[in-house]
Amino acid sequence: MTGYPDGFLTDPPSLSWPVVRDALARRAGIAGRHLAIVFLDVVGLAILWLLVTYIYAWYGLGSIAYTLVPWWAFVLGVVEGAALWESFGRSLGQRFAHRELSGASGVPTGGQRVLYFIGWHLTVLPLVGLFFDPPWHERLSGLRLGPPVERGEAPRPWYRTSSGLFLAALLLATAVAAVGVTITTTNLRRLFTEAGRTAKFWRAFFSPDTTILAASGRDLVVTIYMAVMATAFAVVVAVPLSFLAARNLMRGPVGRLVYTVLRGAMSIVRSIEPIVWAIIFLIWVTVVRAPFAGVLALWVHSIADLVKLYAERLEAIDPGPIEAITATGAGRLAVLRYAVIPQIVNPYISFTLYRWDINIRMATVVGVVGGGGIGQRLYHYLTGNLWQQAGTVMLLIVILVWAIDYLSSRLRAKLA
Amino acid sequence: MANPYLVVENLTKVYERGQVVALRDLSFSVEKGEFLVVIGLSGSGKSTLLRCINRLVEPTKGKIYLDGVDVTRLSSARMRRVRRRIGMIFQQFNLIDRSTAIGNVLTGRLGYTPAWRALLGWFSKADRDRALANLERVGLRDKAYVRADQLSGGQRQRVGIARALMQEPELLLADEPVSALDPATSHSVMQYLEQMNREDGVTVLASLHFLSLARRYGTRIIALKDGQLVFDGPPGAIDDTRFKEIYGEEAEEVEVR
Ligand SMILES: Nc1ncnc2c1ncn2[C@@H]1O[C@H](COP(=O)(O)OP(=O)(O)O)[C@@H](O)[C@H]1O
Ligand SMILES: [Mg+2]
Repeated sequence: MTGYPDGFLTDPPSLSWPVVRDALARRAGIAGRHLAIVFLDVVGLAILWLLVTYIYAWYGLGSIAYTLVPWWAFVLGVVEGAALWESFGRSLGQRFAHRELSGASGVPTGGQRVLYFIGWHLTVLPLVGLFFDPPWHERLSGLRLGPPVERGEAPRPWYRTSSGLFLAALLLATAVAAVGVTITTTNLRRLFTEAGRTAKFWRAFFSPDTTILAASGRDLVVTIYMAVMATAFAVVVAVPLSFLAARNLMRGPVGRLVYTVLRGAMSIVRSIEPIVWAIIFLIWVTVVRAPFAGVLALWVHSIADLVKLYAERLEAIDPGPIEAITATGAGRLAVLRYAVIPQIVNPYISFTLYRWDINIRMATVVGVVGGGGIGQRLYHYLTGNLWQQAGTVMLLIVILVWAIDYLSSRLRAKLA
Repeated sequence: MANPYLVVENLTKVYERGQVVALRDLSFSVEKGEFLVVIGLSGSGKSTLLRCINRLVEPTKGKIYLDGVDVTRLSSARMRRVRRRIGMIFQQFNLIDRSTAIGNVLTGRLGYTPAWRALLGWFSKADRDRALANLERVGLRDKAYVRADQLSGGQRQRVGIARALMQEPELLLADEPVSALDPATSHSVMQYLEQMNREDGVTVLASLHFLSLARRYGTRIIALKDGQLVFDGPPGAIDDTRFKEIYGEEAEEVEVR
């Protein structure tokens, strides 16, 4: 059932836009997949190398070092490692992409693999060769990077595959390095002997200062407003963006590009913590109105978070109704309105509530760097060693967060 | 006009993902008023064929003429105008679960409704009356305001039929319309299709799983195997040898009563 019908590839294609578009899309797909595989293998090998040398230097030499070789040797080693792995084994990237090398007559021969390895350098390194269909190194070796061929054999256990062993090594190295970095004998001992130093803090915490309740209450309201504003304005932006960030709705080369750029941008924005955004916006909008910077920080981060949550939900919708409504002759907007939106309203509301709940907590954290609200007050008390007042504020925050958490989970349960 | 109503010429479909050839150089034609049944094992390309005709799936190669117009070359705006004359019903019904029966039936008019009215959900009085009449016709007048996910399988498929009726179709594509239903319900649904075919003159293309249903309702049968046409003829012409050709040596014929 696989392979093209006779003459399908050899017939000269007519040069119309759909033909060109499909050809471009196919080549972009091939190039993208190859690059993703190479990227994953190179990054994976690089991380393993860095970790192993770090561990060796730390435990063996008692110093801190990452590569132990010149940078160019490191880069060369990692790239060649990836090429060897992809040519002579089934690499991690190939496994993730659900791809496997196979020849016309089944299992690749050693000679074909050598040709593939050599061709790989001509194709992948200068990039151009990737945009041929099939890419140069596949042409040269007669091998194809296609879906795994079903051979009716039981899959090998993980400890007999290179990817399985690689991941195990990566995991082990991470654990060993993590222990080396974070735990020293001094701080481990202090964890058990110095608990008494926090006593005055706990004592103050349980004897609240009632005189600051009114002022703190006002800041609490500011914090809630910050969260509401940030969430509401984030929804306005995130809902339309989510449609552009859903893989199943963004078809064709242009659509795929928009999707990729948007999802990439959103994950970058999301990976910068709200507290960092708050600092950025404090510098940007100065300190005229502190809560404003806090709201902007939460807003930006919420947009990125909601776009991801929304888009993933969109990608999981049942395509059946879309087919049915399209088949009636309805336009694009009507398809969205009748086939897509009914499937996503409740989940969207639920995600929004969830994010609002997070924003309440984040608003207090953002306040600590001067983003306004109750967090800012807490920060003043903590830096001024006003333990009793700090304890009071923390108690209020605990009550607020608990109440919102309860409220939002009740509401979400209703929607489910 | 001497030309057949629907002509499929050298139709080939290759799915990029996994490079599956779902249809291989398929050619046949259908006269107006026929009840053509498509049979074949699952994976033989029945769904793909039906979806190529209204271009829910883009054909890779070949031509499809509907009333003399090559639909494979139409712009998307023109294709929408063609689609509204082609009703479609599905194995999984494909209703909007959260909407009522009548809400679902009304979506059959979307091809005839201006975009702004469609977005606001303002269907005309005439369309609402028509929706009720079509629900009446499939015996679901009393379920008009029940949510689709509260209905049984057979009722859901009848809502699907009413939705297709709203389009006042010339052609009906039915992709395994009864495969998710029990035998008794299957016959009731098939009889609505038969009625559309006989009384309203709708040309029907239905894919079916059971040969007995195909023989009972089809005026002509085509069979697919691995995306190729392996039979084209009257229902009576499928004997035991033909059957084994289509379904494989081990297959046994099962009767649906
Ligand atoms: N969206 C798709 N992407 C890739 N392959 C598909 C897709 N849809 C169907 N196929 C493949 O095309 C072939 C024909 O499928 P289909 O038309 O659904 O057959 P049938 O309806 O007769 O069961 C099958 O091998 C199936 O796996
Ligand atoms: Mg099917």
